[in-house]
Amino acid sequence: MTEKILLIDDETDFLEIMSERMSARNMQVTTASSARDGLKIAIEGNFDAVVLDLRMPEMDGLETLRILKEKNPDLEVILLTGHATVKDSVEAIKLGALDLLEKPADLDTLTEKIKDAQTKKMVLVEKKNEQAIRDIIASKGW
Amino acid sequence: MSDLFEPICASGLQFFGKVSASVSHELKNVLAVLNENAGLLEDLSLAAERGKPLMPEQLKRVSENFHKQIRRADDILKNMNRFAHSVDRFSAKVDLYELVSLISVLASRLAAMRNLTFVVTKPEEPVAFQSNPFLVENLVWFCLEYAMAREGGKGPVQLIPTKKSGKIALSVVGSAAFTEGYPEHFPGAAAPLAAVLGATLVAGDSADELVVYFPDRKNE
Repeated sequence: MTEKILLIDDETDFLEIMSERMSARNMQVTTASSARDGLKIAIEGNFDAVVLDLRMPEMDGLETLRILKEKNPDLEVILLTGHATVKDSVEAIKLGALDLLEKPADLDTLTEKIKDAQTKKMVLVEKKNEQAIRDIIASKGW
Repeated sequence: MSDLFEPICASGLQFFGKVSASVSHELKNVLAVLNENAGLLEDLSLAAERGKPLMPEQLKRVSENFHKQIRRADDILKNMNRFAHSVDRFSAKVDLYELVSLISVLASRLAAMRNLTFVVTKPEEPVAFQSNPFLVENLVWFCLEYAMAREGGKGPVQLIPTKKSGKIALSVVGSAAFTEGYPEHFPGAAAPLAAVLGATLVAGDSADELVVYFPDRKNE
């Protein structure tokens, strides 16, 4: 199944190559070079995972993560950072990030995380569907 | 001087640490792009092994990307090297334009995080004086930190090395209300540094300007 990914990073060279490599692995990739653009695209789209740079101009990754989770708590977010500090990692997990990986990240590791995100999303969708069916059954008194 | 030694050492180390951390972040970004380019080459090689023809344009593009990132890393390291050597001598001839240009480049990543840029104006004639280069850099850094804290998102901050009434000066020009937070919101650690350098910081004639005056210590 094709994973639908949003990459947000102000390093446009990084975005371009990462997107090319992910697309070659049959992922459907959308890119944004600023947090502001990324937020807009993330809220409008239905992504399996957002891969987000921690340090960006205007709005940093943690603030972007906070807004993303506020708008869509089920959205899975993987953070990328040049230097992962314990403080950033704790804050990221507290805010609901799936993981925080250090740059340069291994694409196979990132792909695994994206697959984890997709699986989590599918389980969540199934649970929501089951609950919806249960609610219908209960409302009908069956 | 002895009372000032400790705060000056502490602020100098903090300054050096901040610059080093910022440079290491930038280099990590370069490595990340290089890593993806190397990965792309690996992907192309694997595809070629499976019979997919290699496209010369793709290889050319990867090669250009490598060159671009190597040039970028070289610039970053040259600036870091110049900065690291500024502690070599306690007294040397300081070209204020060169020094401010270097410090503004080293601060550019942190400034970009706050959606701010610095523009350094080249003086018509060299603005040079004898002083402690590293301490002057540290004092300029405090000015940039003040600007970053106050001017984020408001537009470029002008850094103008100049001679005002024969005195060596750095004019820092921000928005209309730039000096409203001065001196109460200016980094406190700047005071001992200015005292040792014999420098004075004053709000300019207009509310958008802060001026640092540096004495020429050639006779000391």
